[in-house]
Amino acid sequence: MTEKKHVITRRDFIRSGSCAVMGSLLGLPLVSRAAGQTTKKSRVVLIRNQRATDGYGSLDRGTVVQMLDNAVSVALGTKDPAVWRKIANPDDIVGIKSNVWYRLPTPPELETAIRSRLVEAGVKAQNISVDDRGIENNPVFKRSTVLINIRPMRTHHWSGLGTLLKNYIMFVPQPWIYHGNACERLGVIWQKPQIMGKTRLNILVMLTPLFHGVGPHHFSRGYTWPYGGLIVSTDPVAADATGARIIQAKRNEHFGKDRPISPRPLHIEAADTTFGLGNSHPDRIELIKLGWEKDVFV
Amino acid sequence: MKNTFQIRTLRNIPGLVTISIILLFMIQSTHSKTNSLKDLQPDLPMQAGSWSAQTGDRIFDQETIFSYIDGGAEVYKAYNFRQCLSRRYTLSGGPAIILDIFDMGSSEDAYGVFTHDIDGATIDIGQDGRYRPGWLSFWKSRFFVSIYMEEESTAAEQAVKELGRQVADKIAGHGPKPEILSQLPPLGLQADRIRYLHHPVMLNYHYYISDENILNISADTDVALAEYQLGNQAAQLLLIKYPTSENVAQSQVDFLNHYLPDADKKGAALLENGKWAVIHKKGHLLAIVLEADSREYAELLLKNIQ
Repeated sequence: MTEKKHVITRRDFIRSGSCAVMGSLLGLPLVSRAAGQTTKKSRVVLIRNQRATDGYGSLDRGTVVQMLDNAVSVALGTKDPAVWRKIANPDDIVGIKSNVWYRLPTPPELETAIRSRLVEAGVKAQNISVDDRGIENNPVFKRSTVLINIRPMRTHHWSGLGTLLKNYIMFVPQPWIYHGNACERLGVIWQKPQIMGKTRLNILVMLTPLFHGVGPHHFSRGYTWPYGGLIVSTDPVAADATGARIIQAKRNEHFGKDRPISPRPLHIEAADTTFGLGNSHPDRIELIKLGWEKDVFV
Repeated sequence: MKNTFQIRTLRNIPGLVTISIILLFMIQSTHSKTNSLKDLQPDLPMQAGSWSAQTGDRIFDQETIFSYIDGGAEVYKAYNFRQCLSRRYTLSGGPAIILDIFDMGSSEDAYGVFTHDIDGATIDIGQDGRYRPGWLSFWKSRFFVSIYMEEESTAAEQAVKELGRQVADKIAGHGPKPEILSQLPPLGLQADRIRYLHHPVMLNYHYYISDENILNISADTDVALAEYQLGNQAAQLLLIKYPTSENVAQSQVDFLNHYLPDADKKGAALLENGKWAVIHKKGHLLAIVLEADSREYAELLLKNIQ
């Protein structure tokens, strides 16, 4: 350990008024901003519907697909029915990066809906693939020109939160080498050539998020709740930061006290401040809330 | 007198040999029951309440555990995990109960991985059982046991607890806790709020220190992180045992440089949140009161390190 090296410690967070949670997500100055990062606000759409789910394992397909359509239109700023042509054109090859964690997978209904919308936009069916753990050897993903990122949000042993940013960890052959320091360096993966600049849409599924984990498998149905939401954005960092605020608020409510996400989801703020992948600070996020307002938490 | 004693001793040799053989057999017998998960496997219950064990237990090792525990397997690797046996109990297609037994190689690491999650109510199962909604965990000897229900119900909870008791009974012997715990000052120690670890990521998980390993924690260091409450005074104490006194000195310097640059000559600093942090070196031990309500309580703890 060299004396001169700049080390970020807990005291940096205490000085900033809160060591409780998520550093710069709450406006804490951390490290210098990545060069060339945009100062433009990121639009994030949070859409909710009470009918979307009754709780863990249930889903109203029609409602959820309608939510997806509405949210995508608002996120991309158009009511044009051909909004999906802004995401992919007929010549594109589209990889839909899903998540198969069997306790809380990406709902197949949403995967199917996205596939259908892409076909309606003119993308050839054979040029669309939904995959998670097989993406490294998936021929569509290998040739992909467009990526769509979709996963449910949940707490996570090592990264604090299983996020859209973390969902791309399967693009690397040895995911565990990114697990150090609460997976802070996940943003590196997004700068790899096979990924960089290809992601046109990020969908964070907040239907029944997991806000706390227990046991080796980090799961209990008792720590999910029917939030009935989707978070949609072209900016994965902004979408994750918004989802993180919801999870934190739910934890505080459930436990009746400040109960920080553990470990701190450093990778979200690092994706902003170190890797320049998007905006994590609420001041730089244009949050548009649609639908059900009860216990929205943000 | 001396000769008489020698003669009596010689006369007793056959008896002593017999006793020794019996003791050796008993020790060997005890060890054979806990030698490996495969030895334990045949004795494990086939029923958990109304839930029946499915055929085909699964055994995972250091490589294959990642296919079983998505995301959290590194926790077990950080405690030198050897093998995991997983058995699934089902009830006519309903939610399952999952028994996972982890062979951690030593009772110290079994205790350590148990302290990774110490929330929940204490329950008299194994050594230090804990129960929280949906999950029972305990450690015994060199095994860490987790019993998880896919869906909570009164019947499932009863079945999980009964299964836990039966599994604990099948694991022979009790294991010692890490020696470093005996050096924690007793004044206000919350015995059920201690973590034991030897990996920097695990420390940051429980108490975020810094983005660099400024305390030089490694597989060769023993670490106890303990919560204290004495009257209205609360504190958190970090106790680290290093292999050499040079390691201690270097870690003290690193911590003072990066975390407590404003410490006074006694190694104490008032933090920005009104709490006190104090660092103190004692032999191969580095003791750090991370947050205390008062300087007096912090110094009292450091004076009472055993």
